[in-house]
Amino acid sequence: MRIYEDLRVVQSRLALLQAVAVVLVAALVVQFWNLQVVRARHFRGLAENNRSRLVTLAAPRGALLDREGQVLVGNRPSFNVVLVPENADDRLVARLSATLDVREAAIRERLVRRQPYRPVVVKTDATLADVAALEARRLELPEVTVEVVPLRSYPLASAAAHALGRVGEITAGQLPLAEFRGLAPGSLVGQAGLESRYNKDLMGKDGFRRVIVNSRGLEVAEAERQAPEDGPSLTLSIDASLQAAMERSFEGRAGSAVALDPRTGEILAMASTPAYDPNAFTTGIDASLWASLASDPLTPLMNRVIQGTYSPGSTFKIIASTAALEEGVITPATTFYCPGYLAVYNTVFHCTHSHGVMDLRRAIANSCNVYFYQVGIRLEIARLAKWAKLMGLGIPTGIDLPYESSGLMPTSEWKMRVFKTPWYAGETVSVAIGQGQVSATPLQMARVVAVIANGGRLVNPRLAKAAAGGGRAPVPLGIHPETIAAVKEGMRAVVAEGTGWRARLQAVEVCGKTGSAQVVAKSRLEKSPDTHELLPHGWFLAFAPADDPTIALAVLVEHGRSGGESAAPVARQILAHYFGLDRPGAPGVAGVPDTEAED
Amino acid sequence: MAGGIDRRFVYNVDWVLLGATLALALVGVAMVSSATYSGRHPDLYVKQLVLVGVGTVGLVVAASLDYRRLADRAVLLYVLSVVALLYVLRFGPVIAGTRRWILVGGFQLQPSELVKLAAAVFVAKVFSEYRQETLGLRDVVLPGAAIALLGFLIAREPDLGTAVCLVPLFLVVAFLAGLRMRAVAGLAAVMLLLAALTWPFLKDYQKTRVYTFLDPSLDPRGAGYQKIQSQIAVGSGGLLGRGFLGGSQAQLGYLPARHTDFIFSVLAEEAGFVGVVVALGLYLLVLWRMLETARLARDRLGAFLVAGLAGSFAFQVVYNVAMVAGLVPVKGLPLPLMSYGGSSVVSSLMGVGLVLSVRIRRFAN
Repeated sequence: MRIYEDLRVVQSRLALLQAVAVVLVAALVVQFWNLQVVRARHFRGLAENNRSRLVTLAAPRGALLDREGQVLVGNRPSFNVVLVPENADDRLVARLSATLDVREAAIRERLVRRQPYRPVVVKTDATLADVAALEARRLELPEVTVEVVPLRSYPLASAAAHALGRVGEITAGQLPLAEFRGLAPGSLVGQAGLESRYNKDLMGKDGFRRVIVNSRGLEVAEAERQAPEDGPSLTLSIDASLQAAMERSFEGRAGSAVALDPRTGEILAMASTPAYDPNAFTTGIDASLWASLASDPLTPLMNRVIQGTYSPGSTFKIIASTAALEEGVITPATTFYCPGYLAVYNTVFHCTHSHGVMDLRRAIANSCNVYFYQVGIRLEIARLAKWAKLMGLGIPTGIDLPYESSGLMPTSEWKMRVFKTPWYAGETVSVAIGQGQVSATPLQMARVVAVIANGGRLVNPRLAKAAAGGGRAPVPLGIHPETIAAVKEGMRAVVAEGTGWRARLQAVEVCGKTGSAQVVAKSRLEKSPDTHELLPHGWFLAFAPADDPTIALAVLVEHGRSGGESAAPVARQILAHYFGLDRPGAPGVAGVPDTEAED
Repeated sequence: MAGGIDRRFVYNVDWVLLGATLALALVGVAMVSSATYSGRHPDLYVKQLVLVGVGTVGLVVAASLDYRRLADRAVLLYVLSVVALLYVLRFGPVIAGTRRWILVGGFQLQPSELVKLAAAVFVAKVFSEYRQETLGLRDVVLPGAAIALLGFLIAREPDLGTAVCLVPLFLVVAFLAGLRMRAVAGLAAVMLLLAALTWPFLKDYQKTRVYTFLDPSLDPRGAGYQKIQSQIAVGSGGLLGRGFLGGSQAQLGYLPARHTDFIFSVLAEEAGFVGVVVALGLYLLVLWRMLETARLARDRLGAFLVAGLAGSFAFQVVYNVAMVAGLVPVKGLPLPLMSYGGSSVVSSLMGVGLVLSVRIRRFAN
C-alpha cells in the first residue's frame, strides 16, 4: 500500500528556503565584488607591503684624511648579528644569549625597542668566533642572520679625538631637525667635532635591498637592489705626525694645544687632554663608560681648544702692547720703573719682583706687570677692549667645529648690563695683564699670536681644506708694521733671554709669550701652595721661524704653575717636531739640557 | 544493502548534484595543494585526495542505505552520538588545547562531524512522526533539548563552530514541519537570548574574536590578524586571480589556517573573483539540488532529512565564506568539501550520499 503524505506546506516552505539560499550567495558575491574588483588595488598594495621589505644598505661615511692623505677616520667592515623579531620567543633569546655571550636582558631590551617589521641588531661588531658559532647553529636559529656593515674606525684612537669627533645613533631630538631630514631612527650621524660639523657632506647615499619575506619575516628572495654610494672623503689641514707629537708632549697632563699656519689659518694640529677613544662610540657606547666619561672631573669629552675658557694671563700683554702702540699711548722706547708693585686707585698691584727700568721689549721679555699696569691706566678699558676684540677675543673664531665658546672681553657697558655697576679704573689694571674678567680659549689666543706672526692679519681658523666653501682669507687689521715689529722684538726676547727660554731651539728662532692664569686669589694659593687644583694654568704662545713664521701655536697646561715652566717646554717639543729637530742627528735643543731622548 | 539497489535507483541518481559535489571536492584538493605547497607538508593534498576517495565510498554507501531503515534506528544513533561525544570529552587526546578527536588505528576521527549526520536523521525522524499541520513552540521543546545536549557536548570540546551547525539543522526541519511563523520568531528570540546568556561563559579567546571582529586594529598581530590577512588575500586576488601557486598571501604564509578554515581565501587570491563566482555557483548548485531533492521526496521523513542536511551545509558554507570575506567573526568552522580535514570531507560527502539516498527512492515503496 502506498501512503501519500500531504507535502504541500513542506514544499512551499522549501521554495522559500531556496530563495533564501540564492539571496545569501548573491550577498556573498556582492561582497567579493567589492573586495576583489572595487578595492582590488588597495588590497594589492597591502599584499605587496606584506611581502616586501626594504633593507637599508648603510653607505660608508666619507673618510677624513690628513693634509698628506693619511686616513684619520675611516671605515672597516664589521659583522652585525640581526634577528628577525616576528618569531623571537624565549627559547630563541636564551639560545642566542648563550651563543653570542650577550645578556638575555640586553637582547630583550633591543626587541622591545624595535620598530615593527624591522630586523633587530642583537650584537654589533660581532667577532669572527661569534659568526662561526652562528653558522654552526644555522638550522636551530633560522631567524638569525649576519650582515656586514661598515663601521666607523678611528685608527689614531684618542689622538685628535675632539677635532675629529665621533658618530652615534641619531637621537630623538635630532630626528625632526631639517639637517637630518629623511633619516630613519637608528641612523648613524656625527655627534661631535668634524663628524658632526660636516655630517651632511660625509654621509653617503644609503642603498637598499627590497627583499621578499615570508610571514615569519625570513627572506626568501631579493627583488631589487640599489648599491650604497660612499660618502666623499674630506681632506683636513691636520698633519697627523705633528698631531701625534703634540699629544705626546703633554705626557698625560690635562691641557690643550693648537697649532695653525699663521698665513692661512689652517689648523695643523689640535689636541685636548685627557681625551677619549671615539671607537667606543661607534657601536653604541657602554652606559658605564659613558657615565665615567661624563662625570670625570677632568672632562675628557670637552674640547679644551675651543670650549675651555681661561684667563689669558700675561699672554694678554701681546694685545695690550699692540693696543698701546696703535693708540699712541706709548712708543717702543717708553720706559716705566718697576719697584715690584704699583699702588694706584687705593690698591696695591703686585709684580713678580722689582724689574727696575723697563722699556717695551724688556717688559714683554720679563713679563713685567707694572709696565702693563701703566699701559692699562693710559689706555683705559674702552680702547683696550676695542683692540682685544679686533684681535678676536670675546667672539667665536668661526672654526669649522660645533659648540665653540666665545670667551669674554669685558667692557664698562658689559659690566653695567650684567652687574648693574659702573666700571672701576682699577679693573682695567688687572685686565691689562690678562686677569680679572677677561677669558679666552686657546684657539682665540693662537689667533692673537698669529696676528703678530703674519704682520697684522686676523686668521679664520679652519680644519677642512678647501671643503664646504673653504677658509676665508685672513683679515688685515690695519696695524702699523712698526707696531708688529716692536711686539715681535719683545716676543723674540721672551725666548732668547726672558721667561720663555725653555722654548728655545738651536736651529730655528722662536718668538713667544708666557702666561699664568690664576685659578684662585693669590692669598688662597699661598695658604696651600701644593694643592694641584689651585695652581695657576700655564700658557705659552709662540710662532716660528721668527722672520718668516709658518707655524703659530698656543699651549695651555692646566695647573702647570707658570707658563714658562710648564707650557714652554711643551711648545718646544711641538716646534722641534715641526721643524724636524727631534729626529736623530738633528741639531740639539739649545738652552735646556737634553733630558729626554725623544722618540 | 545490495538487495536495496535496483536499476531505477541508478537511473534516479542526481548526476548534477554528484558532479558539482565531486568538482568542489577536487577544487578543494587543488587548493590544499597550493596552500601547503611552500609549507612543511607539501604532500598533504595527496592525503586529501585519498580522503575524497574514502568519502566517495562513504557517499555510495550512504546513498545505497534506505534512509527509512536508518531512521528506524534514529534513537540508537542518537544514543551512540552522546556516548561518542562523552568518550571524546573524557578520553580524547588534547590537541591544540581542545579535545575533539579520537584516535583509531593512527587516524584522527572527529566524532562531532558524524554526529551532525546522526542528528539530521534523528531530527527528521522525530518531526516526521508529528501528524498535525502546524507546530507550536511546545512541540519543539523536547527534540530541541535533545539536540541542545549534543550541541552542549560539542561546545565543551570546545568546538563552538560545529556545535552551532546543529542550530540551522534543527530550525530548518522545525520550520518545514510546520512550526508557526510566530513560533519561528519566538524561537529566534530565544536563540538570541541564549546567545546573550552564553556571553559570560565564553572563553577569553572567543570574546577576543568578537571584539577584534568589530575592530581588527585592536590586535593586528593577534586575533585581528586572521581577518586582516584574509581580506588582503581576497582583495589582492582581483578579478582574475594571481594564478595557481601565485598568491603571495598564501605562498608566503601570511594567511592563517590556509589549508583548513581559510581555504577559500587561497581560492579567492589565486583564482580571483571569477574563481569565487564559479565556486560559489557550484555550492549554490549543490544547495539548490539538495532542496529540490527535499521537494521531490516521497515522504516527510525524506524531505526533513535532506532539508536538515542542507540547512547545516548551507550554514557552514555561508558562514565560512562570509568569514573569509571579513563579514562575520572568525570561528573555527571548515568549509564543507574543500577544507583539509578527513572527518569534515568524509562527513560532507556522506551527507550528500544521504541526500541521494532520498532522491533515488522517491518512487520506491
